[in-house]
Amino acid sequence: MSALVLLSVVGVLLLYLGLFNQRASLAVTGVVGLAGAIIVIAAGWHLESPLFGAIVRFDGPARAFSLLMAGATVLLFLFGVDYYARMQRNVAEQYALMLFSLIGGILIVSFSNLVMLFLGIEVLSIPLYILAGGKRDSFRSGEAAFKYFVQGSYASGFLLMGLALVYGATGSFDLATIGSWSTDPAHGHDAIFLLGLLLTLAGLAFKLAAVPFHFWSPDVYEGSPTLITAFMSTVVKTGAFAAFHRLITALQLPDAVGTMLLTLTVLTLFLGNVVALRQTQFKRLMAYSSIAHTGFLLLALLGGDARSGDVLFYYLTAYTLATVGLFIILTLAKRAAQGDEHIRIFRGLFREQPWVAVAALLMLLSLAGIPFTAGFVAKYRVFLLGLSSGHLFTTLFAVAMALLGIYYYALVIREAFAPREQEGGTLAVAPLNLLVITLCGVGVVALAVWPVALP
Amino acid sequence: MAALFYILAALSVISALTVVGARNPVTSVIALVVCFLSIAAHYVLLNAQFLAMVHVIVYTGAIMVLFLFVIMLLNLNKPDGPRKSLAMRLAAAVAGGLLFITLAAAVRQGVQIPPAAGFDPGVGLVRSVGHVLFTEFLLPFEVSSVLFLSAIVGVVMLAKKDKDGTDQATDITEAERARRAA
Repeated sequence: MSALVLLSVVGVLLLYLGLFNQRASLAVTGVVGLAGAIIVIAAGWHLESPLFGAIVRFDGPARAFSLLMAGATVLLFLFGVDYYARMQRNVAEQYALMLFSLIGGILIVSFSNLVMLFLGIEVLSIPLYILAGGKRDSFRSGEAAFKYFVQGSYASGFLLMGLALVYGATGSFDLATIGSWSTDPAHGHDAIFLLGLLLTLAGLAFKLAAVPFHFWSPDVYEGSPTLITAFMSTVVKTGAFAAFHRLITALQLPDAVGTMLLTLTVLTLFLGNVVALRQTQFKRLMAYSSIAHTGFLLLALLGGDARSGDVLFYYLTAYTLATVGLFIILTLAKRAAQGDEHIRIFRGLFREQPWVAVAALLMLLSLAGIPFTAGFVAKYRVFLLGLSSGHLFTTLFAVAMALLGIYYYALVIREAFAPREQEGGTLAVAPLNLLVITLCGVGVVALAVWPVALP
Repeated sequence: MAALFYILAALSVISALTVVGARNPVTSVIALVVCFLSIAAHYVLLNAQFLAMVHVIVYTGAIMVLFLFVIMLLNLNKPDGPRKSLAMRLAAAVAGGLLFITLAAAVRQGVQIPPAAGFDPGVGLVRSVGHVLFTEFLLPFEVSSVLFLSAIVGVVMLAKKDKDGTDQATDITEAERARRAA
């Protein structure tokens, strides 16, 4: 709770700093505020505090996912020092909106009341609609903001309708009450509850970019400023998955919902991996790769038991580290190539910046799930969980899709280590960016030997 | 009372269909006002006076007036919409129809559910809404301030004009420019 207050205050403080043109102190203030929030959250690691009559409940998973999101935001703020250096206007607003969005993220990973789930999703999303359109001079950025806003509002409508129907069936917004209501076998086939749950999950699946609710994701990822794309694919994805997990583990899921989740998983795994094979623009490739990873994460949730929290946290940590690092490297390469986003811009990376190329290699290997990286351990744990919950064929299908996925990551690796044919602009790396890239690169290897368990 | 409900329900459904079906945007907006008012009347029937008042003030008052302003200022009141391909319209009809069947089936099965809590005549009054809002739902109430603050910041950020007027998009491709000109 104090973390939420702290983050709001820092957000408002950033707006004031922007008012007085204190550009140099923006990122520092943001990082200090986030560090404070991280300390506050971590200090109560083993405490479980229901607040405000159990509207939110800061338990182990909630704290862990909050820490992950805050940590990712710190990395992105450090990246922001360089990224926003040449931007003239509205820098303070961008930092502040990211903090506000993070507040929404913390609320949805700790909700224990459906009202808070809906409000948290809105607090998470509305700053994002604005941030997606943050590049005022870019047509594509405006397009991304508009598409995201219209489709996101539509998904919120589904979510709200679903939550209202769940309330209508159970008579409560409280997650624990709904959970015990749903375990009663007499309520197993309640049509209103079932319909409410389906609409709720559809609304959440939009935020996860699960197929067939993924249509916004490639365009929005491509059009948004790169820093915001990285924010969406790490912080927002983590928050949405943790909320999804929190919701479905608290309930006794009816069979029809299980079937729906299974369908979502298979479709997402298939479409994400297959369409990614044909992408040549790096941001679109990352968008489809993000959809593919949504598929693997959904597989972890299929069993619907509480153990999946550990696996989810581990997977999302590995994914976040790799994604943040790769988006930073993309920005640097894009800058050297005058705004081109084709994967050929990575050509010659190894000759120019060997360490950056090696870090990129590690992160791409981790995303692909090659052994000795965190991505491999994460996928392995997901497959084990899938097998133990009895989804043999889905797991085998996921393994096949993971093997298919190695191909498109390998394409990028090949570009990074190929010699450059013609001379382009030189790729400059600011010290702070190098630090974040190093952290991410080392992180995806170090994480492989450090098994994370939630309290 | 039941007759009143059926009249209002018919009014809501007919006006909602008009919103979607009308060719002229102004007709749609007026029909939407009627729809909102009839829904507010439903709230009164359900003893939720506070909700009814807020609904009329916010939706019918503020938002719909804004809609009308936008339509008139942007001169959108010509009856032309974007043409959708047949496949797209077919897909929309099938998807919407499936959702309708699911909803109808759920309602048909679910009409027997008893009220989850006993009827409380004071439930929709300003006093009881305020009491719940500032005790049980205090956190959501406070958190919505963050939501509004980000919306305000966003409006200023996106809508403020540049001093030097360099507000134009720079990366419009030729195809897009031609499409916009057409």
